[in-house]
Amino acid sequence: MTRLESIRTAVNNVQFNRFRFWLQLFFFLLLVYSGYLGVELGKELPTFSCGYNKEGRAGMCYLMTFQYQLSWPWQKLFSAAGLVVLSGFGIFFLWFIALNKGWCGFVCPVGTIQDWITSLRRWTGIRYSRYSWGQFKWLAQIKYVLLALMFIIPLGIGAGWFNKDLKAPFCMICPGRTIIPLFTGDFSQVSLDFSTKTNLFMTSLGLTVMGLFFIGAFVKKRFFCFYCPMGAFHYLLSKPALLRLRKDGSKCTRCGDCYRVCDQEIKDIADDVNKKEIMTDDCILCMKCVAACPEKGALKATFAGIPIFESTEEGFIKRMNKGRADGK
Amino acid sequence: MESETAIIIPIQPAPFSRSRQAGESQDVLDHIVDDFQDNPESMKYFYDLFRRVYCHGEELKHKGLLIGSTCIQTPEELIYAFGATPMRLCNGSYHYDQRGADFMPAKSCSLVKATLGMLNAETVIPKIGKPDMIVNPTTCDQKKKSSAMMESMGYQVYDLEFPNVKESEASRVYWQRSVRQFAARLRELTGKKLTRKNLKAAMNKTGRAQAAFRKLHSFRLKSPSLILGKDAFLVTNAYFFDDIDRWTLAVEKLNEELAQREKSGFKAVQSKAPRVLFTGSPPIFPNLKLPLLIEESGGVVVTDETCSSNRMLYDMTAVDEWLLNDMVDSLADKYLKPCTCPVFTRNDDRKRRLLDLVSSFNADGVVYQAFAGCQVYEMEYRSVADAFNKAGIPLLYVETDYSPDDKGQLSTRIEAFLESLKNRRKQRA
Repeated sequence: MTRLESIRTAVNNVQFNRFRFWLQLFFFLLLVYSGYLGVELGKELPTFSCGYNKEGRAGMCYLMTFQYQLSWPWQKLFSAAGLVVLSGFGIFFLWFIALNKGWCGFVCPVGTIQDWITSLRRWTGIRYSRYSWGQFKWLAQIKYVLLALMFIIPLGIGAGWFNKDLKAPFCMICPGRTIIPLFTGDFSQVSLDFSTKTNLFMTSLGLTVMGLFFIGAFVKKRFFCFYCPMGAFHYLLSKPALLRLRKDGSKCTRCGDCYRVCDQEIKDIADDVNKKEIMTDDCILCMKCVAACPEKGALKATFAGIPIFESTEEGFIKRMNKGRADGK
Repeated sequence: MESETAIIIPIQPAPFSRSRQAGESQDVLDHIVDDFQDNPESMKYFYDLFRRVYCHGEELKHKGLLIGSTCIQTPEELIYAFGATPMRLCNGSYHYDQRGADFMPAKSCSLVKATLGMLNAETVIPKIGKPDMIVNPTTCDQKKKSSAMMESMGYQVYDLEFPNVKESEASRVYWQRSVRQFAARLRELTGKKLTRKNLKAAMNKTGRAQAAFRKLHSFRLKSPSLILGKDAFLVTNAYFFDDIDRWTLAVEKLNEELAQREKSGFKAVQSKAPRVLFTGSPPIFPNLKLPLLIEESGGVVVTDETCSSNRMLYDMTAVDEWLLNDMVDSLADKYLKPCTCPVFTRNDDRKRRLLDLVSSFNADGVVYQAFAGCQVYEMEYRSVADAFNKAGIPLLYVETDYSPDDKGQLSTRIEAFLESLKNRRKQRA
């Protein structure tokens, strides 16, 4: 066995969930706390590195920047200053294509928090719930509605149609705003703003979403990600991305093991044997499906065309043996 | 008069080994063992097992209640978890096939008839005892109708409701519920509780067995072959009734030997031997007629797509959260989603599976066995043949049953088929 092959085997045999846990923890600490160490990654990060966590954050979520820029008065937005928006988008895009939706599955602090809540539920022994197929199809559209509103409302503010207090409307309802600052001891976002009617409305909506977030994430794996407009935004831009999830339908037995472990309940991952690029708009590229696939090479993660993590029988057996042996 | 002769020559009950069913098994086993060279040393365990159980009628011990099953769709992990032992009742004996003919119309499946015949017989082999319950998944019509017949023989029968469609979400949910009900029934029957711990232990048993099977499966990828198909079928047939831990150990030992064989460059067949994929109605000991004919004629069965072997052991269960609910649902999924049984409305998965097996095992051709009367396999022949035609892979369709009468005729057909495979390979080379 060559050295490269043995490295490949070791990677494919990894205890994936444990690996992912530590990687997520690393990114969480990086994005939420490393600001204190002077880390600054810019204002165009394609993940919920929340701007309301003013001191701890390592960079800012692009959705916040983007909404603020879109709400500029139209004379400014459609002038030379608009180039700033374009260059910002360019940087966001470059960040994004490196990891594709891997930003959701590995980096996003809001996603990581949901995974922790899931672990808490698992510890209590309570089972998770799933949507019915009908609900799934219907609810899956919400993220696009939120994405559209995220464009329309700031543009409308710039045009003078909407109240300026709507500010960055998605940030106001985003659970990242209310929850992430809590980790650096900032409780100021968990409050109602009585200054104007709009502010009161938006902050109460924000708190409602926060409540729903905790309840939802407890009963449903990655509850919020299913509705996240960032996920929809990502998907629309994902064509040239470097990190990809590929499927070889001829090797697939449609056993449904991947669908079984999918946090996002994506049925296509198991059932579609024609598509080679299997990442859907709901996917968070967590790669749990690759780890749960027993057919060699049926599912694989590739980076710039090079396979980096591939489903294998050996890896599958190792991981499931570990699962059965745990906590006996 | 009769009684007088009886007084003079008292009629002794014949020992089991003299019975017809034992004779039938003995013939096939002798053929498997003696008529082939270089049988793997570790196959001895399996030869002995079949000899003891099928030829001498020796009894097998089992733990807890005995739960018979008429199909691979019965989640055996649940049975183990409740401290009971599963046993697959599907039978391959011509003797029992004839005995079972009373229950079914003339043109029906040998396997179903043989199973009924065995259950209705006084000496049941494998002699593991009378099942405390028989689980009958509602798969094909003939098996469905067997429920009432088995009940009339005095068995307790549980109909495990199985969907006809597997693509839809509705069927998946329905089947998950069905499996839960089955678990509830087992609880009632055994008086034990299903816990995370005992289900994990049960899944460990089957997981280890499956890992061993997969290993054996991947050794068969090698060309020229390291082991003959007749031995592989015997191994998986033993899984029907053997103690699962002992079975797994024996297979692991066989795998070690095959690893040795691979290292030493051993060939179980000639390099030119045509490699055959076997599909269709399941070969079950002693009815290994077709695989044996293929291998006597110089071919080798490199893999199969049948419910007595590959389909029974290949697909493994993935669990995300090791909680009872998720484990049971995962098991349910495993028994439904990858299944390529012809009872379903569509057979795209079966066709894809077959094509994948042909290419990964580098098979030269396919032998498709359909038991006369096994309508679902007969009906699927056309679409499967079309798929192979398109892919340019030769297929031999054989309609047969458990009777040995057609052996001569079949042997001619198979020889001709293998010859054509050889020629084809030469031409391509």
